[in-house]
Order: sequence, then structure tokens, then C-alpha cells
Amino acid sequence: MAQLGFYFDMTGCSKCKTCQIACKDKNDLKQGTLFRRVTSFEGGKYPHPWIYNLSIACNHCEKPKCVENCPSGALYKREDGIVMHDQEKCIGCRLCTWSCPYGAPQYIEELGKVRKCDMCADLIDKGENPACVDACLMRVLKYGDIEELKKEYGGTSDIKGMPDSSITKPSFLIKPKSEAKR
Amino acid sequence: MANLLENAKKYSMNRRSFLGWTATLTAGTAAALTLPGCGLAKVDADEAAAIAGKEGEWITAACWHNCGGRCLNKAYVVDGVVLRQKTDDTHPDTPDYPQQRGCARGRSQRQQVFGADRLKYPMKRKNWEPGTGGKRDLRGRDEWVRISWDEALDSIAAELKRIKESYGNKSILSKSSITSINALGGSMTYWGTTSDGAWPKPQQFMNGNRSRGSNDRLDLKNAKLIVLWGSNPAWSSAGNPAYNYKQAKDAGAKIIMVDPFYTDSAQLLADEWIPVRPGTDTALLLGMAHYMITNNLHDQAFLDKYCVGFDSDHMPENADPKENFKDYVLGTFDGQPKTPEWASEHCGTDAELIRTFAHQVAVTKPMTFSSSSAAARTVLGEQFCQAFLTVGWMTGNVGKPGASICSNNRHNLQSYGGPALVKAGKAGGSSLPNPLYKQPTFPGPDPFHTDWHGIVWDEAWNAVVTGEYTAGVRGKQPCDIRALVNIGVGNPLNQATNLMKGIEAFRKVEFVVNSAHFLTTTAKYSDIVLPATSEWEKFGGFLTGNPEMIIHYSQITEPLYECKDDNWINIEIGKRLGFDPKEIDSLSEVQKVFNQVAGCTVIKEDGSGYETLITITAEDIAELAVDGTPQQGRIGYKEFKERGIYQVPRSPGDKFGHIDYKEFIEDPEKNPLGTESGKFQIHSQALMDNIEAFGWSKLAPIAKYQYVTEGYEETYSDYEKQVKADCPLQLTTIHYARRSHSTLDNIPGLREAFGNELYMNPSDAEARGIHKDDIVKVTSRHGSVIRPLYLTERMMPGTLTLGQGAWAEIDEESGICKAGAVNVLNGGLCGGQGTQGYNTCNVQVEKYNGPIRLQPDDTWPQRIVSAQGGTK
Repeated sequence: MAQLGFYFDMTGCSKCKTCQIACKDKNDLKQGTLFRRVTSFEGGKYPHPWIYNLSIACNHCEKPKCVENCPSGALYKREDGIVMHDQEKCIGCRLCTWSCPYGAPQYIEELGKVRKCDMCADLIDKGENPACVDACLMRVLKYGDIEELKKEYGGTSDIKGMPDSSITKPSFLIKPKSEAKR
Repeated sequence: MANLLENAKKYSMNRRSFLGWTATLTAGTAAALTLPGCGLAKVDADEAAAIAGKEGEWITAACWHNCGGRCLNKAYVVDGVVLRQKTDDTHPDTPDYPQQRGCARGRSQRQQVFGADRLKYPMKRKNWEPGTGGKRDLRGRDEWVRISWDEALDSIAAELKRIKESYGNKSILSKSSITSINALGGSMTYWGTTSDGAWPKPQQFMNGNRSRGSNDRLDLKNAKLIVLWGSNPAWSSAGNPAYNYKQAKDAGAKIIMVDPFYTDSAQLLADEWIPVRPGTDTALLLGMAHYMITNNLHDQAFLDKYCVGFDSDHMPENADPKENFKDYVLGTFDGQPKTPEWASEHCGTDAELIRTFAHQVAVTKPMTFSSSSAAARTVLGEQFCQAFLTVGWMTGNVGKPGASICSNNRHNLQSYGGPALVKAGKAGGSSLPNPLYKQPTFPGPDPFHTDWHGIVWDEAWNAVVTGEYTAGVRGKQPCDIRALVNIGVGNPLNQATNLMKGIEAFRKVEFVVNSAHFLTTTAKYSDIVLPATSEWEKFGGFLTGNPEMIIHYSQITEPLYECKDDNWINIEIGKRLGFDPKEIDSLSEVQKVFNQVAGCTVIKEDGSGYETLITITAEDIAELAVDGTPQQGRIGYKEFKERGIYQVPRSPGDKFGHIDYKEFIEDPEKNPLGTESGKFQIHSQALMDNIEAFGWSKLAPIAKYQYVTEGYEETYSDYEKQVKADCPLQLTTIHYARRSHSTLDNIPGLREAFGNELYMNPSDAEARGIHKDDIVKVTSRHGSVIRPLYLTERMMPGTLTLGQGAWAEIDEESGICKAGAVNVLNGGLCGGQGTQGYNTCNVQVEKYNGPIRLQPDDTWPQRIVSAQGGTK
């Protein structure tokens, strides 16, 4: 089975957060809800500080805990590996938000249900790219078959600040800055 | 598009729920969607489903805020409803020929246009009265009453007439762009260099206005070293500039960035960071010059041939030979060599680092030495401009590939250089000038002339309050301002310095009117507020700046609610003052846009000149109902409108490259510069005289270091004895990623992404017993704000940064600004050519223990007053 995933070149990220905002626009998310978010980690000591940024959404894991723990069958993996969420079946129990080590599924108060990143499956089905990928000002966010991404760009799923990849096998490759390397 | 229909149906459940939210908008939540024409009315489920099931179209949408980007923005419109946005996908993306991708701000435009907090109807302040202004001290805290357009326009015209008749035209403070007031006899106007800082005059006299840009974008890759002085394109010029520099870095250029803050751009681009205290860049540059001169690393041959004023043997005519730069740096006559150690004491940069930096700058060739205007945005920023150009020219990096000394490389020209490869035509039409101000308002008037009656931004509020302003060689002049007319002029109360004095000024005068999209700071303190249309509600227009492309945007929606175009407002006021609309604005909006389309030109394939860009047919002209003649160009009008952009494809070695000053370097006799000597003027008596004529400061004819108002030395009450003052820290107020100046500050999604914290070094916090999650109070000599804290080793100790443009929210009890509007802190310091001292403000910081409970900005209620409240 194919597995789609994201690739993120941290060394070229300007922390502009356009991916985060384009995602909110595409999915009509109010403040408080982020399917993709940009965070950063800082350290060092003046005059030698460092910072690295991470743009992260749902990692469409190979072994997604959210799917495993969803009691209603609302969460499932598509043929291409995208972790989909069926809102009709969602009962809003939030087991997924508790299971996901990356905080990807978002509970929406107004709906009483969860929503999450579906990699813009509707756009992918039309042959387009996810909104975040096309939005990236520094062209450091890619998506595609995770094996092919690995071949083309390399990268790791384990950096400082992220949960160990052995838990869910995330389909997310990162080119880390030196300070982010484990 | 067929698939889209299916998918839209598939997701109709989601869309229906979004549309459902629209119903709650009047209760004050953020607008996700709305139906233009219906206002923010409830959309029933059937209607919502119908929209979600329909196929729409992508229309090029204006990204009109005044940032440094110039990016393509498209809106997906179904039945007048904007469902989402996207950016440039009009051609495949490559580094040489990149898409013009928009940033987080541009991608939030639909949240702005359809925001629940849009101004919908004209309104007046409840306790305003014609003739006197009523209870003026209630401005900013009064209730609002909805009024009709007729009442609003009649009131404005009556007040203008009354004030003209009673006190004269000079009692109206406005902008020269309001032609209805110009027809009435004109007004006192605002002027100033604003974003350009202190660059305009040094550029005029030192290099003949030439080197604002640099060499061509693609030429950046030829540089072995790029120095970016005070540049943070990731925040200030989002879009492609940071990406362009990254291409140069990936091609092997070393990048050194000079800034008090290790910015988001620095973490991306910088191989080395040179920290420097705000306002002391001149000292740093002089220390570098000393190292270069004493190690004989300067390009003497270049200085001899192309410059005047470097040493006593190469002075301009009639100049005192002792007033040369080299002897000043060496301390020959003043006894103070400007050594790296001397510099370090002022600028805080380690002396050894100054030497290694200077060494690299001197020996690495070719080098691109590029400054934004950040370091020039202080009182006497002119001395920085002098020093920057001088040290740059000492390296001889001019007129060759990869070599460039570029000043004021910022905004929409950052990372670009050379002439525009594609240009829009002129809109045409007559523009009635202001009879009382016959000089440029930007960057400012000629101080020796007397044909202008205007107040520099930095002094405006003080002048209103004290009744006196500075008028160049005429010195201090009396003024008696009775009305503040801010129609189509943005948000001056928030964005000019000295905001607290501004509130005093607003509360003093008899009449204040503002047109705006939201209840901005300026609107909030006005008497009459007019709801203006955004660019999405107009027929269309152009965005230019980046020399490789032009953007032509189209109308996205009909005007919302009762919003009206600023031009319409101007005409309607003019009519009520008894003028013919044609006199106020001679051409229709459509005709103006058409003229710009018809006049578009593009560089020829062989680079030899320009040719017509747009093919226009008789049918196009008939459809638009405009005056015009058919013409043949490269691309049809309809295709151009649909694409929304024309970008000249680029590749290395193409015919469109540009090396600035190439002709001058090849033959300086034949191609002299527009300076007095025809050469680079390291020494300029005319610059010195000009600055002095403005009436605020004295500048030396060469780069010398003077202490800057509210600079580092003024953080001491006694600098010689090193006794710290009450405001011992230095604040710079930089362009912030959340907004473009004050535009977009109200967008919840952007507020969520960018928290508007005060950036502070942990050592400064520790010294004050301040901790990570504290709310802090920042106090300057001019006001106080409270903000959350962001402790970071990326901030130079002793210095702070707070993004500019937050919408002031003054607590009436304490006078504290809760939003962190930086101009509450920045005083109207006045200096040089009227430069606003945004980038060094002396402050103290303490833990805030007062009664205000500061919530995260994205949870604040939107500014929706009851007069703008419901639809029915």
C-alpha cells in the first residue's frame, strides 16, 4: 500500500507561518484550531543563540494511534495512506486527540466533533497539491509518496522536541538544523 | 472544474456548517464567510448548500496593504461568496523564475474584507456638535450613533466651510491628496520621509539618488559576501525577498547580518550575526573604517578616482581639507582615533568582532553591501547613511557583477535592482494640487523653499497642541489647527510617533473626520467615521514594485453594506462645497484602470527598449464603456485580467540583467553622477546645509558620530560617569509579521500566529526580577504599554524589540496601552530631515502588577460598536 507523507526542510524555513494560515483558510478554521502549526525551539547564549522551526500537521502515520483508538470508525486510512476522518461517524469522544502524540486531531467545540488535516485530499484527488505545500514561501514543504520523498531528500522523523517515531511511524521527514538533531 | 463540482458537493456538509456560523457573526465572532449584498445576514441551510454545490471562479484579488511584498492573491468566488484563497500558480515555480507567492498576511485578506468588525455605516460621536465639536474630551470614549451618508457629508462640508471662513485654510490639517479641500483653497498638510528614514537627503547629495536598489536580483548569486544591515525580509518584505537571498546563499555567498536582534531572517540566512545597539551603527562603521585604513585594506585607487572627501588630497572644491573622512577616523585633529575599541564602547559589538567583520568586508570581492532603512530610522540617521555609503565605497565594490553598495534596499525593492522590466501605464486625469503646499509630501519639502505649509509627521500632534511648527528656513511658525481631516489617509494617529500627544491633539480641535475599514485608532478618536470600501470592492487596479512583474487585480465583491469609495467621498464633499465633480476627479475609476492597462509596457526580448504589453480590441473597449483605441501587444486584455499577473521570465545571462553604476565606473567623465562633483560625495557641504535648513539638527559634511536622541548614551543620566537613567534600555519598533503597519492587526488568525510579545534578553529580565510568563510594563518618556514577554538569547542585552502597528487600546484609568502600540512609547523627537525616531526609544521594563488583566490578543473582542451592530 502506498503511503503519502510530508517532507519539511527546516534549514530553509523562515517561520513565516504562511502554511499555517493557508491551512486555516482552506479548512475555514477559527482561532484556537490549527491543523498545521509552526512552532520553534530556541537555545544557546547571546551572542551565539540558535533557533529551529517546525511546521507540523497530521503526519498520516503508518501506525496511527488515533485510528487504532477510534471507537466509531470515524478515523480510517485511505488507500494512499491519508488518515481520513468521517464527520458523520464521529461521536466527539476525543479518544483520538488523547491518542495522537502530535496533537493533530482538533476537537471543535461548536461541532462537538473532531476535525483534522486530510492532506487536502480533495485537492490531491484533482491532481493539485495540499494548500500548505503550494503556499510555502521558502519552498521547503513537500508532499508525496514517503518512500520517494526519502529517496529524493532523505531526512528523519526523529528530532529533538518531537515524540519518538517508533510510537506511530509518522509519514513525515525532516531535514533538521544541527541543533535539532537527536 | 468538473471535478470541483463533485468535490464541492462531497464537502457540502462542512461548507454548510461554515455558512451556518455566518449567522452568529453579528454576535461578534470572526467572519468565516459572508454573502456580499446580504451583509452579514443569516444564511439559511438551503441557500448555503446551494452555494457549496456550485462551481465558482478564481479571481485575482488585491493584496493592497503597504508591505514589502508584491504577491499574487486569488480568491475563489462562488455566487459572490469567497470560499478560499490561493496564490500564484500561473507558471511552474523555479528559483530563477519564481511564482509570486503571498504570505500569511495576504492569505488572510478575506478575513479582513469580510470581517465582522468592518465598518458598515457612517456614524457620529454621540456628544459631537457642529461648530464646537461638543464634548471634545469624550473623543475615543464616547458612544456612537448611526447616521445617513447625507448627514455625514453635509456635516463635513459645513465644518470645512465654517473653519475656512473663521480661521482660514491653514487651520485644516489634512493630506494634499484630498482634492475637494484643495479646491476649497487647500490645507496644512502632513509630510515626512516615513519608512525611508534618513536616506533621502544623503542619497540626493552623496550619490545623486542612484543607489536605492542594488544590482539585479540574479546578480546576487555572483556575490561572495552579502552584508544585510538591519534587514528582516521574513517579516517586513514577506513574499520572495528572503527566498531570493537564500538562492544567493545556496550558490555560495556568505551572508553577514547586522542587527540588535537575531531575526527570523538571520536564523535563515546569516552565516554570521553582528549585534549592534540601536542608533550606534555609525560608531560600528567608523570602527570598521579605522581597521581598514590602519591596515591599508581600503581601495585607495577607487576612492581617488570616483569619490571626493575621503582624504585631504581629494576634497570637493571650497571644502576645508581638514574636514576629510580619513583624518576624522584616525583622530588627526580631534585627538580621538575611532578604533574598534572606541566603537565597541558605543555600539556594544565586541572589538575583535568589529575587526574580523571589517576584514571580511574589505577583502572579500565581489561583495554586496546592502542596508535597509532600519538603522536610518533614528534622529540624525543621516550620519548612519553617510557612514554606510563611505565604508561601502572604501571597498570599491561598485559597478561590477556581485558588487554593489545599496542603500535603502527595502520594502518592495528588497533583493531587487535595476529598472522595471514591465510597467503599468499612468491612470491619467487631472489632480488638483494643494495651493498651500507646492512641494513633495514624500520624502519632504525643500527646506530652503517657502511655498509649503505643512507639518512633519513627527511634530504634527505637538504642533496641534502647542500652536507652533517648524518650517525649514522660516524657523518656528505659528499654527492654529481646528480640524483633522483623515479621508483616505490610513491610520495616522496610530502610526505617527507621539500617540499620547496625538490623543491630546485629537481632543483639542473642533472637528475630526476619518474614513476607514474598521474602527481603527484614528477612527475611534474621530467625530464622524465613514465606512470605506476595500480594494476587493472596487473595479480593480495594479500592484507594482518588484521590477519583474505587475499584478492587475479585479473586483471580488460589490461594496459591502453602505461602504463607499474614498474617491466618491471626496467628490461628494466637493459637490457640497460647491464644486463640479469633474474638477475634483476628472476620470471614472474604470477609465483610470483602463488607461493603466492600455499603457502597460514590457521590455523587448533583446533588452533594447519597451513595447506595448496588452492587446486591446474594440470589443474590450465597448464592454468596459471607456474611451480608448484598439492596440496590439503581447497578451490579450482578457487573458491578462484572468491571469492577473505578467511576469518577465528570467534566466542567468539573459538580456535583462542590471549592474548599477556600470557606466559611471567605466567612464566617470562621460557619465557623471547627479551630485555636485559628479562623483560619490563622501563629503557634502550641501547635505550639511540642507539638513540644518530643516531647522532641527546640525550634521557634519562627512560621517561623524554624534549621540542620537534617545540613543544608547541617553540611557545614562551621566554617560561619562556611567550613571544609568530612568529609561536604561533601548527599544526598536520593527515591522511585524502579524500585520502590515497597522493593517491586518485585527485578524484573529494572525493574532493567534503572532502574539505581539516584547522580545527581551533573559539577563535583562533577571536583573529586574521578571520571569517568563510575566506581563511586563514598558515605560518610555512618552507613555506606557503592557505586553506579554518573550525571553530570548536572540536579543542583544540592553535592547528590546516590539513590533509596530498594534491598534492602540488605551486604558482610560491608567493611560496604559494594552495593545502595545509602539507610538505610545516613541516620542516626536524631530531631527535631521524630519525623520521619525522609531528605532531607538529609551525605556524601562518592569513586571506589571496592576489591575488590568491582559488576555492573549486573539481572544480580544472585535471592535464592533452598537451603531455598527445588527443588520435590522
